[in-house]
Amino acid sequence: MPKILVCYKWVLNEQDIKIRPEDLSLDASRAKGKISDFDRNAIEEATLIVEQQGGTVDALSYGTPAVRQSIKDVLSRGPNRLLWIGDPKAEEADALVIAKVLAAAIRKSDPYDLILCGEGSSDMFYQQIPARLAALLELPCLTFVARMTLEGRTLMAQRKPGDCTEMVSVTGPAVVSVLSEINKPRIPSLKQVLGAAKKPSEEIALDSLGLAAGDLTPKAVRKSPKGFLMNRKNVVFKESDAAANVAKLVASLKAEGLH
Amino acid sequence: MSILLTEEQELIGQSARDFAKEYLDPIVVDMDHTGQYPAAVVKALAEHDFLGLFLQGEYGGAEAGYVSLVEAIENLARSSAAVASIVINHSLAAYAIQRWGAASQKKDYLPALAAGSTLGGFAVFEHGPTPGVGASALQATRVPEGWALKGTKAYVRNAGVAGLYVVLACTDPAAGAKSLAAFIVSAKASGLTVGPLAETMGLKGCPVADLVFDNVILAESALLGGIADGNAIVTETLALASVAEAAQTVGIGQAAVEHAAAYAKTRVQFGRPIASLQAIQTLLAEVATDCHLARLGLRVAAQLLDQGEPFQVEAAMVKQFLARFGSKLLIDTVQVEGGFGYSEFMPLPRLFRDIAGTTLLEAPADYPEKTIAAALLA
Amino acid sequence: MSILTAEQKQIQAEATAFVAKEIIPFASKFDQSGEFHPYLLDAARESRIFAMAVPKAFGGLEYSALTQAVVLEAWGYGCAGMGTTLAASVLSMDSVLVAGTDAQKKQFFEPMVRGEIGSFGLTEPSAGSDAGNGKSTAVRVGDEYVLNGSKCWITNGGYSSVFVIYALTDPAAGMKGISAFIVEKGTPGFTIGTVDHKLGIRSSNTVELLFKDVHIPAANLLGKEGEGMKIAMKTLDMARPAIASLSLGLAQRALDECVKHLQQLYPEKAQPGQTLQFKLADMKIEIEAARQLLHHTMNLRDAGLPYSAESAMTKTNASDTAMKITTQAVQLMGSYGYTSGIAKLMRDAKIMQIYEGTNQIQRLVISRAVLAPARPAVAVQKGGN
Repeated sequence: MPKILVCYKWVLNEQDIKIRPEDLSLDASRAKGKISDFDRNAIEEATLIVEQQGGTVDALSYGTPAVRQSIKDVLSRGPNRLLWIGDPKAEEADALVIAKVLAAAIRKSDPYDLILCGEGSSDMFYQQIPARLAALLELPCLTFVARMTLEGRTLMAQRKPGDCTEMVSVTGPAVVSVLSEINKPRIPSLKQVLGAAKKPSEEIALDSLGLAAGDLTPKAVRKSPKGFLMNRKNVVFKESDAAANVAKLVASLKAEGLH
Repeated sequence: MSILLTEEQELIGQSARDFAKEYLDPIVVDMDHTGQYPAAVVKALAEHDFLGLFLQGEYGGAEAGYVSLVEAIENLARSSAAVASIVINHSLAAYAIQRWGAASQKKDYLPALAAGSTLGGFAVFEHGPTPGVGASALQATRVPEGWALKGTKAYVRNAGVAGLYVVLACTDPAAGAKSLAAFIVSAKASGLTVGPLAETMGLKGCPVADLVFDNVILAESALLGGIADGNAIVTETLALASVAEAAQTVGIGQAAVEHAAAYAKTRVQFGRPIASLQAIQTLLAEVATDCHLARLGLRVAAQLLDQGEPFQVEAAMVKQFLARFGSKLLIDTVQVEGGFGYSEFMPLPRLFRDIAGTTLLEAPADYPEKTIAAALLA
Repeated sequence: MSILTAEQKQIQAEATAFVAKEIIPFASKFDQSGEFHPYLLDAARESRIFAMAVPKAFGGLEYSALTQAVVLEAWGYGCAGMGTTLAASVLSMDSVLVAGTDAQKKQFFEPMVRGEIGSFGLTEPSAGSDAGNGKSTAVRVGDEYVLNGSKCWITNGGYSSVFVIYALTDPAAGMKGISAFIVEKGTPGFTIGTVDHKLGIRSSNTVELLFKDVHIPAANLLGKEGEGMKIAMKTLDMARPAIASLSLGLAQRALDECVKHLQQLYPEKAQPGQTLQFKLADMKIEIEAARQLLHHTMNLRDAGLPYSAESAMTKTNASDTAMKITTQAVQLMGSYGYTSGIAKLMRDAKIMQIYEGTNQIQRLVISRAVLAPARPAVAVQKGGN
């Protein structure tokens, strides 16, 4: 009966973010929070395993105090318990800081058999947390996992890192990051939504984790996120002869660097 | 009382929205063309607890309350008003039995309704003169076994797919409105037939038909509430219908205004997107405002229901408001889309046809005014 | 009710009888199938009603504007879809009345006297309310024009014998470079495209017109090159009240059906309670007021007085009234309204607010008239509007 941990991030819904055309800065004032997309797959995978084999799922997140809004949403999707650290310093944290905080929190619990993450977050998509977490916890790390099965202490996983597929097995605890194709997260039923309020959630104070100020200071600093607007070129090829239009189009594309 | 939603109510609304996107969006156009009842979708609704939303936990319900109900209905209706109709009419039967049922009746019927293995229907209207205004066409006479029902009920939603109906009948023609009683009738009852499906303007996929009672024999235990409770049962249940249908209206209006706003941003005339024209802005602003106010009004009524307080006046108010402004939500959004808004290749015509079915005033069509005035002038 | 002459009353009675016999019994069937109704052209042939606006000199009935309005109201009462067939055909010939030579009038009116119909082809995908933004072109080549482009939402298109098509003879001049042409069905290169499926007026034929190198005689040019938009605007002034007429018919029908239904529901009492009575009274007031504005507008036109603003007003007022009243009728008739032909009235009414110039465009026309500086009395008499 595995004891599983899922790490998740509460992010802004990118569909609510508007790009200001004057300077491409982002207006997130109307953006609501959501569970980062691949993390949903991680939560679903943990829930599926436990539905089949028994066991428990804890969910863990480090974010700004806004992470409190995620509690019932996450708990309605299967986890038995939620642990969260909410601190304004999370706004500036880089992947190394986040991994250190999560690792410190994880060490305070009894050991997990499996730690699941999404392959990358919907907002930053650094793809660093799983590997850094594994390094800090001295655990094996499997990334780009598209399929997995857990039998006893043995995990079999299919990885799809890009242009190939590989089957990997690992025995004992591991950190695994999953791709969206691993499952289709189910929509919580209304009873599950209502049941979330009855499940335990625990806030862990950041300064109870025994981390030094240096650990919490990011080395990589985000200066300013800008939006990207794709503008139409508004070039029209209007020769009466279709072949001439095609020739002009090809010439134009070549000039742009396409071959 | 706060009209803001609790976190649970928001999450329930969000679940309903996600459910609608996944299960309803793919089928809405075809269902409107064929009018086919979406059995698979109803099964999925049941699995997600939408059919036992406000029923008590001991019967398998989610006990989520009525604000959750209207949040769910609005979000379902934003994708498919027809599916919302199915849920609403099922809910009316469930409400009536939970509210007036004897312990044994609740035990016998509510679990199946909550699980969605039985769909409910509420049969109250008739073709001829109105119950209470003239003799009801459906008579219930005492017989040794209990009751015999003879006559016809009209325009019953979920007819033919429901497993049970709560039926309003007249036990004493001479006594007018005081003689109305409600009965729980199984769809399998001998002598009960479903008439041909009505051709509805919209909300296609939610079946509408007559129920014909040819000497349908019911046990005494089929009586719901007291012998003279029929009027109270139908009045209060139809008040819930007003609130639920208002949520449906608002859901359709919300979908329409979002579609029209998106259209207005891309449709270029006079060298600019029509969204930049005040004429268009005014139309959209009025629709958004009416939608917003209606939503608040119906939420108040739903909250009163949650608190176990009288809600019928507030229900009548939102009914009356939407009788005046409900269809306008689509009259104006179709207007924004002009010729495209009139083409059945686009979605707004379906929404136009659907929304008209959510603000109907069944006879007596002056009931909202009467209800509100009676409270004011008591 | 308006004050009609004996002759107008006779025409009204004939139209009402025709509608009762040939339109009302079949309206629902054609609405459900969405098919066009060629049978109606056959039934109307003898009466020459499709030539009701054609001058007598060309074999038509030359009905006055008011008489036409009375006929169209009767048709709208029976079926707004079938009424649209008639109204749109008259719209097409209005362009020829405005700008056609006698030879062109003969060319265009003869088919109508024979019982055939026409189409007015102005709208394009890029030219809806922005009617002057069309892209179709007409290039002069010798003693012909060559047409290229497309039109959309053209009423009667699939069944018309004659068309008035608007196209750019001078693309660089924009709106001022549009000209109007007579085009006949079957001209090589001229084809019918997609048929639109609509929310209402479903038996009215609404199609795309496609022009690929269509050669037409230069003699088919109406008026002069570049006069197209002027002709179109004058045509629409003439034609807008037709939509008001159809709308009135719709509204009146909705009220009559509503009254019938309520009387059936309350057989033991004289009438329903005051709330419902007053709703009916309000519907009656609005219909009658709309009728009077329409008839006043038609009287102005028949008297040769300016009526442009009134034309926009009556189209807006009558169509808004029809939308409101048909909506209310469905509501008051509950599930019966929703599952019967009453619902068709509400679906049909919606287009009246949109076509032949949306009610927003109409309001622009009207507000310009309202905000224009006050004119001295002399100018008014001379018809300066």
